[in-house]
Amino acid sequence: MFETDKPVQGFFGQFGGRYVAEVLRTALDELEEAFVDAIHDPIFKEEYSDLLRDFVGRPTPMVFAENATREIGGANIYIKLEGLAATGAHKINNALGQGLLAKRIGKTRIIAETGAGQHGVATAAVCAKLGLPCRVYMGEVDVRRQRPNVFSMELYGAEVTSVTSGAKTLKDAVNEALRDWASSFAETHYLLGSALGPSPFPDMVREFQSIIGGEVKTQSKDRGFHPDCMVACVGGGSNAIGFFAPFLGDSRVSLIGVEAGGRGTSLGDHAARMDGTGSVGIVQGYKSLFLLNEDGQVQDTHSISAGLDYPGIGPQLAHLGTTGRVQFLRSTDTEALEALKFFARTEGVIFALESAHAGAQAVKIAQEMGPGKNLIINMSGRGDKDIFITAKAIAPQAWKGFLSHEIADMEGIQ
Amino acid sequence: MNQSTFASLMVHMIPFFPDLPSSQAVARGIVRAGADHIEIQFPFSDPSADGPTIEAACNRALAQGFRVSKGFDFVREVANLPGSRTRVHIMTYASLVYARGVQKFCADAAEAGAWGLIIPDLPTDNDEGLREAAQAQGLHVVPVVVPTTTDSRLDLITSTSPSMVYGALRTGITGTKTELGPENEAFIQRILSRLRPYGGQLAVGFGIQERAQVRALQPLVDSVIVGSALVRAIGNPPATSEKELEERVANFVTRLATD
Ligand SMILES: Cc1ncc(COP(=O)(O)O)c(C=O)c1O
Repeated sequence: MFETDKPVQGFFGQFGGRYVAEVLRTALDELEEAFVDAIHDPIFKEEYSDLLRDFVGRPTPMVFAENATREIGGANIYIKLEGLAATGAHKINNALGQGLLAKRIGKTRIIAETGAGQHGVATAAVCAKLGLPCRVYMGEVDVRRQRPNVFSMELYGAEVTSVTSGAKTLKDAVNEALRDWASSFAETHYLLGSALGPSPFPDMVREFQSIIGGEVKTQSKDRGFHPDCMVACVGGGSNAIGFFAPFLGDSRVSLIGVEAGGRGTSLGDHAARMDGTGSVGIVQGYKSLFLLNEDGQVQDTHSISAGLDYPGIGPQLAHLGTTGRVQFLRSTDTEALEALKFFARTEGVIFALESAHAGAQAVKIAQEMGPGKNLIINMSGRGDKDIFITAKAIAPQAWKGFLSHEIADMEGIQ
Repeated sequence: MNQSTFASLMVHMIPFFPDLPSSQAVARGIVRAGADHIEIQFPFSDPSADGPTIEAACNRALAQGFRVSKGFDFVREVANLPGSRTRVHIMTYASLVYARGVQKFCADAAEAGAWGLIIPDLPTDNDEGLREAAQAQGLHVVPVVVPTTTDSRLDLITSTSPSMVYGALRTGITGTKTELGPENEAFIQRILSRLRPYGGQLAVGFGIQERAQVRALQPLVDSVIVGSALVRAIGNPPATSEKELEERVANFVTRLATD
């Protein structure tokens, strides 16, 4: 299940590293040791596998998108339904792994950052299950626009702390979690939600997410095909690297990462770092490609999907992009919405907005590849969580009517 | 004023906070009061090692138009203040240094008249060539260590014989008051035992707000660092003029340094 040979690479080409102040050094050194120790322990692996099956609901299915394939008339399209995992996204694979690790090393408190709230919800659910108190840092802007996820986290017993510094979004939530950790690491584990941050996080998150790619390998073999192309969306990069990891050495498979093209190509209008817009920098403890100005100040980003709305990319994907092993494309807000509608209509599946970015490019690629080839999309999350955004964008009048009615109803009761 | 009882201080400030002319007045106040060191923090958009006071001040400074090139202009002015005996340190985050290029950042810092560089997220063994580039320019990299830094890391850090080490008296971030106790003294001795053999200096701080804290630390270390406390004093109450602000800062520094 894990790459036990050299699970912690630390650097991926020039990217990665542990660029942190001395105060976090001890915590990270200890974490690396504990992680390597855990993944060599059969008891830890068994506990993780059992909960993945019984609590998360793994393996997640992979469906042949027959109608979509017919309509497009190109490669066979398969969808890995990662969004059917508990709490609605791949995030829980990593949250569960790190939660068990934290417990194993005697940590009694969990902190996490969240943007859209998916990682926060997964972490809160795992903490409820494992009996650990949990605080989730979330930007004030995200708290306001993602209320349903705040509600779920609180229902799971987590304390959601609204972050009012900086741009008040995901990157600021990461800063706030790092600040908390700098004084609390003796008893607290920082459960980081994507394949980024200082080493060993990128390696650790990849290992806990590789279950996705591992299952895909078995599922495609069982159906008697070998994938020619795999497509995933990339925020920080955890679903993509977990989906790709078992195939990195397999040159028959082309790997495509899709970033958020947002509403345009100017800095501030998107969150695409890999097609020449990002600069090599050192931010939040790791070296990678970031959206920075010439002074090295982090720039604002935009995406319709909060999960992709982050200025940095995980160091391993930055490296794989630089070497050409992973090719990067971008989908705009509009393309993502179109793909979401397309797969809902043809396949009865509603993608999360993040995953719909992958869907949008996959449709084009399948067409170019032509029949007889096989392409797999990672649907990293399901779309229920986005209803306040998608309904507003797709059916604004009806949605507005519904909301006004709800408010009138609530006020009538009071 | 008895020179021997005037404590050696390193006083922190942020250019362009709350605006450029006010921050120039702050720097003049620090230098005029006779602080041994001034720590000029170049604001970064994501200062994850700083608490709310300094983070808010950095955001304000960026909104006031801080640019790295203007930061070096600021350093140059401070280094050239008439009669100054204050050493200038530039504190910032890796992103700003890396974006400019480590060598160019060091060259610009040296040209502007800086003495030290404090870049906590470029640690000794992941420093992107900072120490070498600084040395080539006659600059001194000041590593930051904390009480949880292990002996083996202290050995590693001091094996490069830094001219000065910055000891943060507790873990956590800047801004909250540190209660001094015997464990601080033990930490100080752990560092000093490694610095004294070659004559390295030790400055300590984090949460220093009162004269009593400075008085307690003064005999133990070479300098005491004052950070967020001055940042808070600058805005509260708002200054009536640059002259008044300069006066206020000089008095603040003097009160911390002497009885
Ligand atoms: C469903 C879904 N997909 C993708 C992402 C992006 O993260 P990553 O790139 O780490 O997979 C998120 C993040 O919130 C998400 O919720």
